[in-house]
Amino acid sequence: MSKPNDLVQGTLDLLLLKILALEPLHGWAISLRLKSISGNVLQVSEGSLYPALHKLEQEGWIAAEWKQTENNRRAKFYSLTRLGRKQLESESANWQRLSSAISHVIQLSEA
Amino acid sequence: MRIEHWWFTARLRLRSILRGRRVERELDEELQFHLECKIEEGITNGLSPKEARYVAMRAMDGLEQRKEEMRDMRRIHWLTDFLDDAHFAIRSLRRTSGLTAFVVITLAVGIGMTSGTFSMVDALIFRPYPVPDPSGVVTLASTTHDSNLDDFSYREYLDIRDKTKSYDGVIANAGMEAVAFSAEPAATPRIKGGVMVSSNYFHVLGVEPRVGRGFREDEDQVPGRNAVVVLGPNFWKHEFASDPGVLGRTIRLNGTEFTVIGVAPETFPGMQIFEHPDFYMPLAMARVFSINPQKNFFEDRDDRELNVRARLKPGTTLQRARNELAMLAKNFEREYPKVNHSRGAAVYTQFEARTREDLNWKFSVIFVILALAILLVACSNVAGLLLSRARARTREIAIRQAIGAGRFRLIRLLLTESLILASLGGLVGIAIGYGIVEWFHTKESIVVLTDLPVSLPFQMDTRVLLASLALSALSALLCGLVPALQSTCVDVVNALKSAEVDVPGRKRLWGRNVLVVAQVSGSLMLLTASFLMVRGFQHGLLEGTGFAKDHLLMTSFDPRLVQYNSAQTQQFYKLLAERVREAPGVASEALTQNIPLGIEDFDGLAFVPDGFQMPRDRENFNSTMDTVDEGYFETMGIPILRGRGFLASDTAETPRVAVVNDQFAKHYWPGSDAVGKHIRLDGRVGTLMQIVGVAQTIKYQNTFERPMDFVYMPVAQHPIARMTLMLRSTGDPMQLVQSVKDVVRILDPNLPMLRTMAYEDFYMDRAVKGPRIAMDLVGSMGVAGLLLAIAGLYGLVAYNVSRRTREIGIRMALGAASSDVLRLVMGKGLVLVGMGTVIGLVMGFALEQLMNSMLFNAGGVDILAYVIVVPSLFLVTMLAAYVPARRASRIAPTQALRYE
Repeated sequence: MSKPNDLVQGTLDLLLLKILALEPLHGWAISLRLKSISGNVLQVSEGSLYPALHKLEQEGWIAAEWKQTENNRRAKFYSLTRLGRKQLESESANWQRLSSAISHVIQLSEA
Repeated sequence: MRIEHWWFTARLRLRSILRGRRVERELDEELQFHLECKIEEGITNGLSPKEARYVAMRAMDGLEQRKEEMRDMRRIHWLTDFLDDAHFAIRSLRRTSGLTAFVVITLAVGIGMTSGTFSMVDALIFRPYPVPDPSGVVTLASTTHDSNLDDFSYREYLDIRDKTKSYDGVIANAGMEAVAFSAEPAATPRIKGGVMVSSNYFHVLGVEPRVGRGFREDEDQVPGRNAVVVLGPNFWKHEFASDPGVLGRTIRLNGTEFTVIGVAPETFPGMQIFEHPDFYMPLAMARVFSINPQKNFFEDRDDRELNVRARLKPGTTLQRARNELAMLAKNFEREYPKVNHSRGAAVYTQFEARTREDLNWKFSVIFVILALAILLVACSNVAGLLLSRARARTREIAIRQAIGAGRFRLIRLLLTESLILASLGGLVGIAIGYGIVEWFHTKESIVVLTDLPVSLPFQMDTRVLLASLALSALSALLCGLVPALQSTCVDVVNALKSAEVDVPGRKRLWGRNVLVVAQVSGSLMLLTASFLMVRGFQHGLLEGTGFAKDHLLMTSFDPRLVQYNSAQTQQFYKLLAERVREAPGVASEALTQNIPLGIEDFDGLAFVPDGFQMPRDRENFNSTMDTVDEGYFETMGIPILRGRGFLASDTAETPRVAVVNDQFAKHYWPGSDAVGKHIRLDGRVGTLMQIVGVAQTIKYQNTFERPMDFVYMPVAQHPIARMTLMLRSTGDPMQLVQSVKDVVRILDPNLPMLRTMAYEDFYMDRAVKGPRIAMDLVGSMGVAGLLLAIAGLYGLVAYNVSRRTREIGIRMALGAASSDVLRLVMGKGLVLVGMGTVIGLVMGFALEQLMNSMLFNAGGVDILAYVIVVPSLFLVTMLAAYVPARRASRIAPTQALRYE
């Protein structure tokens, strides 16, 4: 139930890790960033965003910290941990392999 | 990577558990922040605040579900679920507090009996030696046809020590013996217990003396040279107030001056279960303590008095050590055919050695079987109750399933309940176990009637506590699983339609039927066992001992304590007997090496009946024996059936004579008179002894023993150092004490009188009260088992019947007579009890055979036990079925049909 069915399984984790690798962000900013960088192609429901973030936090890949936003409100900022960086590397590598394999298959011409 | 990961996540989990509320608040705040941002965005895009809020909530697809998902992400729901379950279980258990109390008490009795028993068995069998790395210490034993745990002689020990390669050290110790101790030369000696040990004893065991040092190798090389002693920790504490200045002091043991060189640590009370030595002396000092004056301890290869243990070299297998020692035993047999014929050797682990210490092991096995039977009955009892309770909750469970609870989740809930019950029962049970152990200790003074430092080591230590906790968990599973499995496999639709889902169907009832059968058979086995045990003891007591116990005074002497040689010893006993005979109030006098039913074991005697065709593989037979003087049979009131007793004319110069008991005579010369026959001592070429008389068989070691072979020898022909004087009095035996004291003072004022008391008092304490403890324990186990079984059986059967009230109503509405109904429900109960009885009889019979073969002479089947036990269980079952069946058969059918 908790799995976003509008994304390939596991890719949400990868996206979140990648976004947070660039800079620490709070949940709302992450959701905005997701939409803008994927050009609205990847629809992530806001509902599934937070459980995903919590899972990453419990895995120890990202760490949370309460900080002030630019308009002076308290928000929970997530940042990548050292473990998270390693995870990101291995998941990116995985994704590269998988996607290149899949595009290879798709490009086979029908004989 | 993995460890680092754990480090992170464990902290996070811990935070979720400990700071749960704060984590919740942050969760709310975080989502709130998101919503607010989303609403602001909506308003900026031109929506009304209300619409913006609606859109924001929609985007979340259910705020509460999301929160729940996030909580799941914390991975601690197993714990929170458990806490919820526990909370719920406690609430529902409190609602039915009567039932809960009953269940807790039932379990407590089961667990308490078991943990009390285990504390005993632990002490007797399982507790490791009090030394570092106890599992490396093995016991070496000499083996013969009749014993697989015999001792070694000093010479044999030296050979084993020097010729084996499997060990890091081979140690030897003699048995604990009475030692006359005095701190000052002038003080009257007091009796303490000491053991002689090899010089490497402490070193090989890994025991560091508390103060001072252990023995040096050179202190155990020249007989009689190094009079040094290591004190036992308790003795040091009580006698010298734990004063380290005791080192270098001189104390007198058996009249010889010994220098104190060390004190054993408190962690090392001794290697034996019951005996805690006050002194350790080197084996080389054996002449001061020597046990058998007719043998030379240092030279005779058949003077076997040493327990030998060894520490296995790391990496050496037990099998290798066994082969090596077996080879050595073969060599012994070849080199010394006379004393080592058909004698082998064995290496035992601690467990093997302990289980070969006969009586302890047998009692342990029997008690464990009984305790487990009680636990089984208690558990099936509780399972029955929980099952009934779960039945009554069918509807609740059906509703839970209907709204989506998984079966596993429900089983977990129900198991949590039984776990809580079992924990409570376990706690109370441990308290009961403590009570039983304390009770053992109050009986200690009775069981341990000796001057030596002996104690019952039963205690509730961590091992016993852990075992009890494990038992509680096990019983939670045992009594919770069946009800949980059954009650969660419910047809939801039917259950919701009516409260009465107990459709009679075979599948549904197997659980309860099994429980009834288990209870009947378990309690039947318990009852027959306890019946047999109680009757076995009573039988022994009623049958009598075969001699006159009243008007007897006993007191023991050991002239070795004051350094008498053999001639002096014989002279002392001769004078003692002559003079006490003259004392007023003395009817007759006797000297004996051991008293009947005493604490020390009788000596064994190896012999060959003259002219008897020995089996090929046997060199000799064995019997127990005693050495007595000519007044013994008369004083003890033991009838001489044929021939004569000993006479003053049987002296060291006349041919050797012996008196055997009736059992012995029948055993070796069935159908002919044993008087006039001969036996040879030791083997085919040993000393010839003529049998001059046959005495009546009496009880020698226990009141419940089987008749055993027995040989008497005259003390004039077989001198013994430590003897007991028995005086038959005309009046109160205790009035003779002063006259005996006067006689002894004139003969030698330094010689202590040991264990002076009226024989009848000794007999009561030793032979009656001691076994009565075991009898009480087994009896109470039997009664506990019966009560539990009755309560459980009644509950189960009555419940089974009451659940069928509706069915009975229908049957009666259709025209069944109330007698038909009675027959129907009672027939079912009786079939189950019948099955239980058959199984219980088989188990009880097996246990009875076991007990008979182990302990009792009451051979054959004790019919009375079955005659009493079986019908009473049938009666209970019938009553349990009858009461509700009768009620059911009386209700009007209309009412019964509406009955829920």
